[in-house]
Amino acid sequence: MSADACGNPAVETEATMDRRLKYDRSKACIKCKINAGRIVVRHAVYCKDCFPTLLSTKVKRSLEPHINPRTELSRRKSLKASGNLLIGFSGGLGSTVLLDLISKIYLSNRNELRPQDPTDGKARGGKDHPRNEPVWQKASMTDRGDEIKSLMQDKYQNLELIALRLEDAFDRKWWDQVGGRASTDVAIDVTNEDLYSRSISTSDMSDPIQKLRSYLSALPTHTAIDNAIRTLTRLLLLHTARRTQSSHLLLGTSLTSLSIRLISSISEGGGFAIREEAQEEWHPGNSSSSLPIRLIRPMQEITMKECSLWAWWNDLYVIGKEKRPGGKQGIAALTKDFIVGLERDYPSTVSTIARTCAKLAPKAEAVGSCILCERPLQPGVQEWKSRISIRATAPSSPSSAPVLRSLAPLLCYSCHTSLTSRSSKSISTKSENSPTPLPFWASAHLNALNTVNAKDEGGDVWITRRVGHNEMKGAIGEFLLE
Amino acid sequence: MSFRIMWSNQTFPPTLIMSSITLRVEFGGGLELLFSNIKQHKLTLPSIVPSNNGTKLNGEVLSGGETKPADVEYLMHHLRDNLLQERPELFMEDNTVRPGILVLINDTDWELEGEGEYALKDNDEVVFISTLHGG
Ligand SMILES: [Zn+2]
Ligand SMILES: [Zn+2]
Repeated sequence: MSADACGNPAVETEATMDRRLKYDRSKACIKCKINAGRIVVRHAVYCKDCFPTLLSTKVKRSLEPHINPRTELSRRKSLKASGNLLIGFSGGLGSTVLLDLISKIYLSNRNELRPQDPTDGKARGGKDHPRNEPVWQKASMTDRGDEIKSLMQDKYQNLELIALRLEDAFDRKWWDQVGGRASTDVAIDVTNEDLYSRSISTSDMSDPIQKLRSYLSALPTHTAIDNAIRTLTRLLLLHTARRTQSSHLLLGTSLTSLSIRLISSISEGGGFAIREEAQEEWHPGNSSSSLPIRLIRPMQEITMKECSLWAWWNDLYVIGKEKRPGGKQGIAALTKDFIVGLERDYPSTVSTIARTCAKLAPKAEAVGSCILCERPLQPGVQEWKSRISIRATAPSSPSSAPVLRSLAPLLCYSCHTSLTSRSSKSISTKSENSPTPLPFWASAHLNALNTVNAKDEGGDVWITRRVGHNEMKGAIGEFLLE
Repeated sequence: MSFRIMWSNQTFPPTLIMSSITLRVEFGGGLELLFSNIKQHKLTLPSIVPSNNGTKLNGEVLSGGETKPADVEYLMHHLRDNLLQERPELFMEDNTVRPGILVLINDTDWELEGEGEYALKDNDEVVFISTLHGG
């Protein structure tokens, strides 16, 4: 191998990369080698007949090894999920295509995508052939809009629709519905890095929308708001999956979106849970007795371009995702611009990001999970944070409400940073006197921890108590020079 | 046959040879919002256009300046200068479409057809699809 082939980035010129043809060799389809190509996917050319097979192969490759409760090395065994199926549907391009592909591959009685020939709906191998047994007994999907209802009635009558809204995370009714542990409302003070929490009475703040607004407006940056919305959505879906006795939750994350998530997640401090960006197993209520719910992204090998053309050629109606004002300024939006440009000019690079991240593994074992995002908790986050940062602590008076505990040690690096990292562009003007409500699962975790600690004599080892300015001065007074 | 073509080239003045081509243009994936929310457009372009993609002299005699057959690059400039209602930066960037916009020429990925350099023919159909409204 020559020295050039190893690729010295400083020597490799733009010119050699730039004018390269976007496809290899011939304009004929690389699969059937007969038809004229219609789409270029990362330098490979496909015709319109072979394109559906390309997508279904990719979906099956990402999904099927994870359908059976135990990962089978042999693919000959029939596929049988241990529970129902839940598909997350936002109305965006990715989930629109996901819903279409999953319903065509698994929920209709044909096992292959044949959009060119929609009249052929016959199941292969006879009605009772094991291949035609449904993989999942029941499927449902979730949404956040009225427009989706009519789409459902038109196209997906065999699916049950469960509407979810962001504010449900703060709604006691929803929490009871999904079978969450009884919990008092907990609010935190985001003006301090220790994030002291306290119980609030339900009458203080009962309107879920008002609580959601209060939560989002407490966040210091646009990036933090994007993160919070993503975490709320993910946990709303996971809890709904538990409620519907689903073994699988599928999301429509394309290869392009996954790469965007990976890069922005790392830059936001989520590196420890990077594997969970691609796929995760969630243990409801942290009990190891029940089977975990698998969150799978079956489209993680399919680029946004393929999604777009699939939607176009199949006349799928894409409702479009809701856009949040100010969202353009977050890390996620900036990363998106970068990755989308990269994907056009160097189409293979984007899959390299996903493949590289798939090889990453955290150095240390997780110490439980974050109470806010329920992803693995990295050990020693707070020690590390206090070593690397200079903190300005604002003087504050002790609050009269019963003090619970500092949330900081219970949060992953990413969530803690989201809640506390202020920049010159900070948008929140939250004051200490307006406590920020937490989503119900986080409150429930806190309540559970406090119950355990109250019984346990060594409990106060856990509790970081907030002390008043004078009390603190008294305790350290003799060391002060003044 | 070749004789007749040579003959006509020599006989007619350049302005008369200059014909026009009719195209169907369609926007998808939300891109139509930039174009008065109209998805399908039918338009006519001169078959010979300025090499610098100037759209101001539309349909007039192109004496002097360099010319080329109307191509997709010219079409993009034409759409931007004549049909686009708002925010041109969401449609074009650096003389081509913004990353994240797919182009189909007669239902085929334009990357197979030479992208912006594809010379348009009468009755061609060109589709612009935005992939950017979420995933
Ligand atoms: Zn083919
Ligand atoms: Zn977290």
